[in-house]
Amino acid sequence: MQVLDQVTADVAEFEAVINGKTVTALSGETILQCARRYGIYIPTLCELHDIDHTPGTCRVCLVDIHTRDGDKSHLATACTTPMQEGLEVQTRTPAVREMQRLQVELLMADHDQDCATCIRHGKCDLQDVAQFVGLRTNRFYNPERVAARPIDDSSPALIRNMQRCIRCQRCIAICRDGQGIDTLIQTGSGMDTAVGLRYGLTQKNSACVTCGQCVLVCPTGALGERDETDRALAMMYDPDLITVVQFAPAVRVGFGEEFGLPPGTNVEGQIITALRLLGADIVLDTNWGADLVIMEEGTELLHHLAERKRPTFSSCCPAWINFAERHYPDILPMLSTTKSPQQCVGTLAKTYLPQRMGIDPARIRVISIMPCIAKKDEAVRRQLTHDGVPEIDVVLTTREFARLLQRERIDLKRLEPSTFDNPYMSEYSGAGAIFGTTGGVMEAALRTMYYVVNGRELETVELEQLRGFEGVRSATVDLGGTIGQVKVAMCHGLKPTRQIVEAVRAGTADFDFIEIMACPGGCVDGGGTLRSKKAYLPYAMKRRETLFGIDKKRAVRQSHRNEQVQALYRDYLGKPNSEKAHELLHTYYTDRKIEMTQTVREIWADIKMNYKDY
Amino acid sequence: MTAICYGTWDGAVFDHRYEAADAGVVPALVDIEFFDKNNRVRAFFGDRGFFVFDPTVSLIDGLWRQMISAAEQSCGKCTPCRMGTILIRDALDALRRGERTLSLADIEVLADQMTATSMCGLGQTCARSLLAALRNFSDVIEAEIERGPQPEQNGMAYMTAPCIEACPSRVNVPRYIDYIRDGKPEHSLGVILQKYPMAATCGRVCVRFCEMACRRKLVDEAVGIKTLKRYVADQQQGSKALAFGRELISQPLGPNMRVAVVGAGPAGVSCAYHLLLHGYHVDILEALDEAGGMAKIGIPSYRLPKDVLRSETDIITELGGRFLFGRALGRDFTIDDLFSRGYRAVFLAIGCQQGTRLGVEGEDPKLSGYKSGIGFLLEVHDHVAGTTTSSIDGHVVVVGGGNVAMDCARSALRMGAEKVHIVYRRTRADMPADSEEIEAALAEGIEFHFLTNPVRVIAENGRITGVEVTDMRSTLPDASGRRGVEAVPGTERALPCSTLIAAIGQQVNKGTLSPEDGIKFDRWNCVAVNTDDLSTSRPGVFAGGDCASGPSTLIHAMANGLKASRSIDDWIRLGKVQFQPRARMREILNRNKMLATDAVEVPVKPQYRVHHPELDPEVRKQMFEEVEQTISAEQAYAESKRCMRCYRTYSVITERPISNGA
Repeated sequence: MQVLDQVTADVAEFEAVINGKTVTALSGETILQCARRYGIYIPTLCELHDIDHTPGTCRVCLVDIHTRDGDKSHLATACTTPMQEGLEVQTRTPAVREMQRLQVELLMADHDQDCATCIRHGKCDLQDVAQFVGLRTNRFYNPERVAARPIDDSSPALIRNMQRCIRCQRCIAICRDGQGIDTLIQTGSGMDTAVGLRYGLTQKNSACVTCGQCVLVCPTGALGERDETDRALAMMYDPDLITVVQFAPAVRVGFGEEFGLPPGTNVEGQIITALRLLGADIVLDTNWGADLVIMEEGTELLHHLAERKRPTFSSCCPAWINFAERHYPDILPMLSTTKSPQQCVGTLAKTYLPQRMGIDPARIRVISIMPCIAKKDEAVRRQLTHDGVPEIDVVLTTREFARLLQRERIDLKRLEPSTFDNPYMSEYSGAGAIFGTTGGVMEAALRTMYYVVNGRELETVELEQLRGFEGVRSATVDLGGTIGQVKVAMCHGLKPTRQIVEAVRAGTADFDFIEIMACPGGCVDGGGTLRSKKAYLPYAMKRRETLFGIDKKRAVRQSHRNEQVQALYRDYLGKPNSEKAHELLHTYYTDRKIEMTQTVREIWADIKMNYKDY
Repeated sequence: MTAICYGTWDGAVFDHRYEAADAGVVPALVDIEFFDKNNRVRAFFGDRGFFVFDPTVSLIDGLWRQMISAAEQSCGKCTPCRMGTILIRDALDALRRGERTLSLADIEVLADQMTATSMCGLGQTCARSLLAALRNFSDVIEAEIERGPQPEQNGMAYMTAPCIEACPSRVNVPRYIDYIRDGKPEHSLGVILQKYPMAATCGRVCVRFCEMACRRKLVDEAVGIKTLKRYVADQQQGSKALAFGRELISQPLGPNMRVAVVGAGPAGVSCAYHLLLHGYHVDILEALDEAGGMAKIGIPSYRLPKDVLRSETDIITELGGRFLFGRALGRDFTIDDLFSRGYRAVFLAIGCQQGTRLGVEGEDPKLSGYKSGIGFLLEVHDHVAGTTTSSIDGHVVVVGGGNVAMDCARSALRMGAEKVHIVYRRTRADMPADSEEIEAALAEGIEFHFLTNPVRVIAENGRITGVEVTDMRSTLPDASGRRGVEAVPGTERALPCSTLIAAIGQQVNKGTLSPEDGIKFDRWNCVAVNTDDLSTSRPGVFAGGDCASGPSTLIHAMANGLKASRSIDDWIRLGKVQFQPRARMREILNRNKMLATDAVEVPVKPQYRVHHPELDPEVRKQMFEEVEQTISAEQAYAESKRCMRCYRTYSVITERPISNGA
């Protein structure tokens, strides 16, 4: 890709023709890019501009081209063919339209046709394109071919259904180039071509960290979370159960667009109303858990600083935990032992909350709504289940929550907002609110640590030096007192994360505290957020701004000033990092590195299986 | 001269069905009527059209066979080829059996879709014969359908690409590049290892016939095939290394199935590798005390680190082969000895390491400062290995224009030479050395004297002090079109130097083979072999690599090793070497120039190739560490996407079944 940039560095303009109209094309641009600049629609499936992905596999974006010196016209794919001076492009000739239609028909020949059961129904790029090309027949469809394609449902979090895959390779690209995990590979050949996990491993046992960015780019229902809306409904409708629902900081700013509200709208109040309509008995806020995490993690960090133990990595992102356990187990001792806000809320909802409210803990079920797929992995970690009782019973992604509301015919847009009413675990500070975006955990932690060290609040609570958006950012903050200057770093996205982890292991990184969020942008763009057709992370900045706006408007902006958190310590835990706090709010990590050695024999067997006459 | 009945090629239609038998003679087609001498070719199907020689051939069956091969090879990534090959294959199969699932019009639409819209050469070309048949000879097809089920036919299909055909070892280049793109470098390496074990070595020093044939050149630059090969081969260094081991041998043979390989160079190692995989017990007898041959001693470590080569020759041991070092043919044993020790066959891969003299006045190998190219590289090798220390000072003149000359010149610089000159009698364009090698030598400050030839060696008191050279000029082209050179009278001048390296060629060491060994030589003093099977004048003895061809390339040597292993396997099991249908197919393709270097008609976005990170010339010219570094995974992915996969399918229908597992 660096190579490409060099070529396109000096842009020249020249004239060409699309559909009879003279256009000014830019050197290095494809027919598709030029057509889009002129508002000319060409159907595409595999291409995704936001991640510079043009594998040219679907062959749907066909156009008729005639080069200036050519003696006849050719069909070409608009996504891969460069504009040329004097090129004549036709996007809607009868031949082009017919071939686009046939291409989609061929694409459907081994594609699961059971649209009604698909998680992507109605929001599917393939359905859109099929409509555009006017698909009316499906002559080549063969259910046996569909049945032969694999479904990997081994994981508690991410389901990979190849019966709906159109071989666009976007997931491979985002895993490889976007996140740098590179665990998705192309498997098989011919009809068996699919996307699989490296070394033929299952989703559950692979090096995948379930960040879910692949789901965000998938044009169909091939990739998605394990749908647990039924489990959640069953709990909410069960009169014997008390359902406790929490939702994450980022959910409230990444949900309204599903119901026609502008992206980035804060719909916290409407979500609370919707949850009560659905039958949730108690609505808690994960933001409260975030404030609590700051108390625990901040205290832990101050201990580490006093012991000169550095660096400490944050621990609230479950895909990051997966990444550390799967890829760099040697750094696990550097991870904060504090559980994530989700798990802190979950464990206290089954201990502290029933004690305060005088209810039977056995009747409690905790559902959390998260912008994240890896939270489903986290919820089933054996460290986080006690005597067979999980801290969290069901994790719904933002997408599942949207599906649930649609199933129950609840239109969020029409709901009157309401407020949290739980007196124990729903209040939050501005610090808790910004947990959902990169740098937020760090900023929240520093606000509280400054207070602990100096006995007074920071004069300016907004730490602008932390608020950039680069993949890796670092800053030096003077905490004063006995601690003095601390060096902090924030990473979002796993490619920058790998860089900083490598630097820490190599001894070239000089940091005290490192915040990691596996998804680019942080939880606001998490793998469980709403999908956008033909776009990748289009609303990142809007969601982030809204979170900072919530912080700004809060009367209380520091976690340690959250009165409900103070009450928890006063009435139940004692003080941060107390024995009881350790028992309930801290966890441990295990080495789950994937080490594979393959033999030449295995490789040869695989090659021969795919290509018979080798 | 071949008489065809009907067919089409490049859009031209031939139809001699209703004419006299000799009317359809197409002079352009050579030697295509017979597959082997007893097996007539009845029809030929290719990427640009088809020829039918026998009017009773079933077109439907022939086209079906071609499509089977295409469907098996389709990578499945792009829609039209993935589904098209299968739908057409199945529709033709139904027609062949006397059933009808799709109409001929439907088949034509699918074939057209595949041809016009597929992503790579495979899908774009595999249905062209079919389309041509449907459009020009639908009457034949209709008549066949009318007759009902089609008769059984014999034949074979062969899929290849320009880069594959250019490679002496026929490595499936598009496939190994595709595996990189797929994210499976280990599969990529697996493809290369099917042909030879020395992938990392080849990935460093190969002369890259594949890149010369690469059609990407028609867009921008050839794909960095060698660079990618090195990338996948270098994955073997580290925790992701693929394990070899005896379990790779599917059918181990009995203890008496022993083969002796003489010489542990690339040809010998490659032959031993394949014989071991076939289950044979192989001993490699080597005069030196380490493996690698010319790759070891003839290629400087700044291009091929010794540990890389070592790890690849060690594969032989991992497969159960034995190196017997310090045993020189002619000195320690004869070929008779080998047979009497129970070896069933012998492969001679003894190289040609005797430097050719310049043949000029005053030349005497005993002069201090006189070296042969190969002798000097040996000195350098020992110096780097630490077994001897030697150095060079003053000016050095290297005579020659091949890679050995470049290696000598660049090594001399690293050994301490003050100034290095290369003297070559022709122009730079004529130099057989890789252009990258020439560029690298220039960058390191080596001075080239083109159109210059030595005429006299100048020495004082037994020491070389210079060489007298003369300017050369090109003569008019001779009958074959090649320009000669001649000295320009009166341009003689002295080039002072303390070392003169003659790097103009090599031959088989005298004394290695004696007349009693029963091995005949050719007129260039190399072992005479039958190029089809590498057999020598003595039954059971095969020869390959430099000793059979004269100084050649690593990839030729390894290709010879593979070919010899097949011949030896046949010879031991059957007492004769079998006919190789794929080799015959290649011969047909190459003799008739079937693999056209056709234009790339649809514009392709230029993406220039990645280059190896290199050390700075000022730093590197003082050291023997590797100059080029491996590319990153990111670069490998980017480079692999440049391959256009110019696959082509060819098939023949023959009178009889094709022997030897077509």
